[in-house]
Amino acid sequence: MTTAPEPGRMDTSNAIKGRSLLDDARRRLAQNRAASVAAAILVLLVFIALIGPFLVPFGYDQVNKSDVLSAPFTHGHLLGADDLGRDLLARTLVGLRVSIAVGVVASLVALLIGVAYGAVAGYVGGRVDELMMRLVDVLYALPFIFFVIVLMVTFGRNLILLFLAIGAVEWLTMARIVRGQTLSLKRKEFIEAARAAGLSTPAILLRHIAPNLVGPVIVYVTLTIPTVILAESFLSFLGLGVQEPLTSLGTLVSEGANQMELAPWTLVVPAVAMAVLLSAFNFLGDGLRDAIDPKDR
Amino acid sequence: MGRISTLSRAVAVGVCAGILAVTAGCHKAGGRAPCPSGKLCFEATNDADPATLDPPRTSLTIEANVLSDLLIGLTDRDAAGRLSPGMAQSWSASSDGIVWTFKLRKALWSDGVPVTADDFVYTFRRLEDPKTASDYAYLFYLIKGAEAVNSGRAPLDSLGVRALDPHTVQITLTHPAPYFPEMLTHNVVLPVPRHVVERYGDSWVQPGRFVANGPYLLKSWTLGDRIVLEKNPLFYEAQKVCFDRISYYPAPDPVSAERRFKAGDFDLDIDFLARRARYLRRPDQIPKAVHTPPELADTYMTFNTHFAPFSDQRVRVALSMSTDRDFITKALTAAGEKPTYGFVPAGTANYDAMKAPVWASWPFPRRLAEARKLLSAAGYGPTHPLRFELKYPNGIDPAVAAAMQADWRSIGVFASLVAEEPQIFYQDLPVRDFQAAIAIWVADYDDALTFLNLLQSGTGGQNYGDYNNPEYDALLAQADHEPDAGKRAAILERAEALAMASANIVPLFGRVSRDLVDPRITGWVDNITAFHPKRYLCRSDAAARRAAG
Amino acid sequence: MLGFILRRILVIAPTLFVVVTATFFLMRLAPGTPFQTGRKLPPVIEKNVMRKFGMDRPLVEQYASYLEGVAHGDFGPSLKYQDKTVAQLIGEGFPKSLALGLTALTLATALGVGAGVMAALAQNRPPDYLVTSLAVAGLCVPTFVTAPLLILVFASTLGWLPSGGWGEVQNLVLPITVLALPQTAVIARLTRGGMIEALKSNFVRTARAKGLSSKAIVLRHALPAAVLPLVSYLGPACAGLITGSLVVEQIFNIPGLGRYFVVSALQRDYTVVMGVVILYSTLIMALNLVADVLYAALDPRVVLE
Repeated sequence: MTTAPEPGRMDTSNAIKGRSLLDDARRRLAQNRAASVAAAILVLLVFIALIGPFLVPFGYDQVNKSDVLSAPFTHGHLLGADDLGRDLLARTLVGLRVSIAVGVVASLVALLIGVAYGAVAGYVGGRVDELMMRLVDVLYALPFIFFVIVLMVTFGRNLILLFLAIGAVEWLTMARIVRGQTLSLKRKEFIEAARAAGLSTPAILLRHIAPNLVGPVIVYVTLTIPTVILAESFLSFLGLGVQEPLTSLGTLVSEGANQMELAPWTLVVPAVAMAVLLSAFNFLGDGLRDAIDPKDR
Repeated sequence: MGRISTLSRAVAVGVCAGILAVTAGCHKAGGRAPCPSGKLCFEATNDADPATLDPPRTSLTIEANVLSDLLIGLTDRDAAGRLSPGMAQSWSASSDGIVWTFKLRKALWSDGVPVTADDFVYTFRRLEDPKTASDYAYLFYLIKGAEAVNSGRAPLDSLGVRALDPHTVQITLTHPAPYFPEMLTHNVVLPVPRHVVERYGDSWVQPGRFVANGPYLLKSWTLGDRIVLEKNPLFYEAQKVCFDRISYYPAPDPVSAERRFKAGDFDLDIDFLARRARYLRRPDQIPKAVHTPPELADTYMTFNTHFAPFSDQRVRVALSMSTDRDFITKALTAAGEKPTYGFVPAGTANYDAMKAPVWASWPFPRRLAEARKLLSAAGYGPTHPLRFELKYPNGIDPAVAAAMQADWRSIGVFASLVAEEPQIFYQDLPVRDFQAAIAIWVADYDDALTFLNLLQSGTGGQNYGDYNNPEYDALLAQADHEPDAGKRAAILERAEALAMASANIVPLFGRVSRDLVDPRITGWVDNITAFHPKRYLCRSDAAARRAAG
Repeated sequence: MLGFILRRILVIAPTLFVVVTATFFLMRLAPGTPFQTGRKLPPVIEKNVMRKFGMDRPLVEQYASYLEGVAHGDFGPSLKYQDKTVAQLIGEGFPKSLALGLTALTLATALGVGAGVMAALAQNRPPDYLVTSLAVAGLCVPTFVTAPLLILVFASTLGWLPSGGWGEVQNLVLPITVLALPQTAVIARLTRGGMIEALKSNFVRTARAKGLSSKAIVLRHALPAAVLPLVSYLGPACAGLITGSLVVEQIFNIPGLGRYFVVSALQRDYTVVMGVVILYSTLIMALNLVADVLYAALDPRVVLE
């Protein structure tokens, strides 16, 4: 059924709506149940991490001398208290906040360095590419943990520096992936067209290459965050994590592991929080990967 | 589908086969090292591997623990930690207290060569030799010429240690020191066999070359795994030694070591984690194995008096008052430590520990109020809050610092916490790169002076609080020349009271040793010097164990 | 192929040189020295100690002297454990970490590949969900939690296995399990992903069209293709595992090499740090080479440049 077109105007009412790649991806993601649930959980976790500490009646660093190692549901502590009588729920929420922050920021640092480095290397190619990748190989050959320890030890146990240290180590794989993607993108026709049109290299990199990297990069970042959080928890185990009284999930877990028999909740609560957080990132990352390029698994 | 079930079947079979293979040789799962039949073995943990077994190059209890089974010095301790004859059967000092003479017993090195006074002369010279680069050479600077030798300004033979004859050692000091025989139990002056060291140099300590004059010989040492010692038949009291073999396992993770102790893998686990004491003492756990006697060490707080707020004594006292030592020792560390207000630990030989100040018995809220008053008198209050950084090394429980921080916050003082690695911490403090710090001081020998010496104005770097009081220095010098132990103690106690009132350093609590000892072990006596050589130990079921093998 | 291999081998030496130099100067940048444990040394003593270890010379001279030693195979004495040389330390520790790591990796690969294939064949049905969930769970709990938990259950409570030490086969069961768990998870996911993609690919469709049985398809056609991403992963993973895990070795009292990676950096034991870094770098480069060659062998489409 058609209506008579008005003169001078195109009738778009029944035109077939085109689907962009983004729509495709979003649709596929929504269909992936596990990923959708994971995304929802993540949003929830971020929300309670941000707001939660304001709602809990105890401060995360508030020492309650008479509540030392109280079990859950005693003395007004919903999830119990630690060895200084500090409320475990409050501390877990703050730990969640710190772990998410470390994970996201460090991954973003890795992203920024890795994308810039990899895109430049892949696009410029030739000698420059070889040299840059050689450097990556050298850095890869250094044991990660030793590197981080030296950085932590030289610059102190500042939270910001923790982000930077971990990010400075994780960018390598990102660089490799981005370089690989750039290499294959470089040969595509639209890049040739842009070059023919006279665009400068930085412009091409920024306006054509970068947007096409978004997919794999997002996926990789989502999957790097859990690795970063685990790396931070390893540093806490070594005694190099965040400074007291601030805490992270890793610190809480390693302290709890030492009190497992006496006060199991000090281990169980942060460990469950960590497991849920990391699993959510993993499922979301998998879902994103499937959604963005279902063939490219 | 058939594909999948074959695969999963294969995996299942593989796993079962693995389990069977492993449990096939299954006696009740033991991680305990097998002991040859007819012998009695002792398995002990150590904090870590010793850095070395060469006495002058040792510095920590990690090394002292093992060395006390291999070598005996001029003086020794009995099972209760009391001073007793060692290689020297008797000793005496001249009337001015400067010249000490030691008469040696007849004893042999494990290769049959007699132990002579020459070995001791050689040992002391080697300690002070700058080429040996001993960390602890300074401890014996009280020997005449030691400092000059160690600085390279004098030849080795100018050291005040001589062999009057093969069985007499004479040591000349720079000032009287009634505690000198005490000092000679230190691991750094355990004798080394001159004939072996001259032959092999620093590598004389390798198993196979190591020659000992003590109850055990060095059989093997695998780094990270274990050190194995075996009975020395030529030890002068070999017949009294019960265990045939001692093994030391470095155990960097204290909780794992404790679990293995419970499983029977170890007879002795030293330095278990303090906050586990409460759990281990539960009736359903291993209460009889837990030993936490006080030790000759303190945890204390020190202030950098160059940092403006801390130049005011009232501020320092206020912070001391508002630290809840009782909560920390009873609820937090809970291993048996006691709050302390004097720097010299209770139980130190020839000394009465300082009494707590009056305010120590006030209820805590009253102390907080009083602290607030002191702070406002010094100019700190809600409009001008006191802010500073509290540093502590990675050996101190962060919860202790966090508890102090919380208490201070309740009186409007804002402390930020900085935990540092020991390397960096002990580098920062001497150059005064800190504002306030929590540190530990462990005695080098059983006498009040090893603590009080720190506060002398001439001490330099390690006088972290920069305590500078000529009256204090004079009292210490006077004590050095006082031959009567009781009078000397009184002088030192007066000095301590002076220093503590000034609060440049503020003792927090005394430390305790933390050992898990299998209740079937006999001969273990808790003592303040934490001295437990294995030659005094045996088992109540020794005969049965030997027979079973 | 041969040219490729040779070129890669030639690259190892210069890369090692850069690694050694970077590590040497990086370690000296970090504050602290190996010689302070509980107290600051008086200046005379400190001078003596530094002189004994040649650390009072200018840094460049120390570097040159170190390189010279390495060229002759002398990696120096440990600065912390003064009676042992770095070569001794590594020689005693590495075989143990190697045994543990290799066994764990083999186990993880066998289980992981099996589970991954199973999940891929049952994609989006219950067995897949089970495997994927377990795999994710295995990745989300740090080893310093799984280790004491396993000890608590199997050693302290049930008494089936010893809680640590090195000696008999039983001592190795728990450490190998702890090491293998996260690896199994990763390998399962990688295999599953690779398998899913392989099953959708053209050559599998061709094989199916030709009428080959399911079993043949999976085993002979899809699996080699599915395993490709795994091969790239296994190279560095192997290097990491065989050089030992600090957590596992510390908690189970295993005298391996793993702890030295961390402990020697924390203790500023410069010579040991250099030794383990050299070992690790060589292993990584060698294993990456092996992985790349294997990859090329398995995938005829890949051209090694």
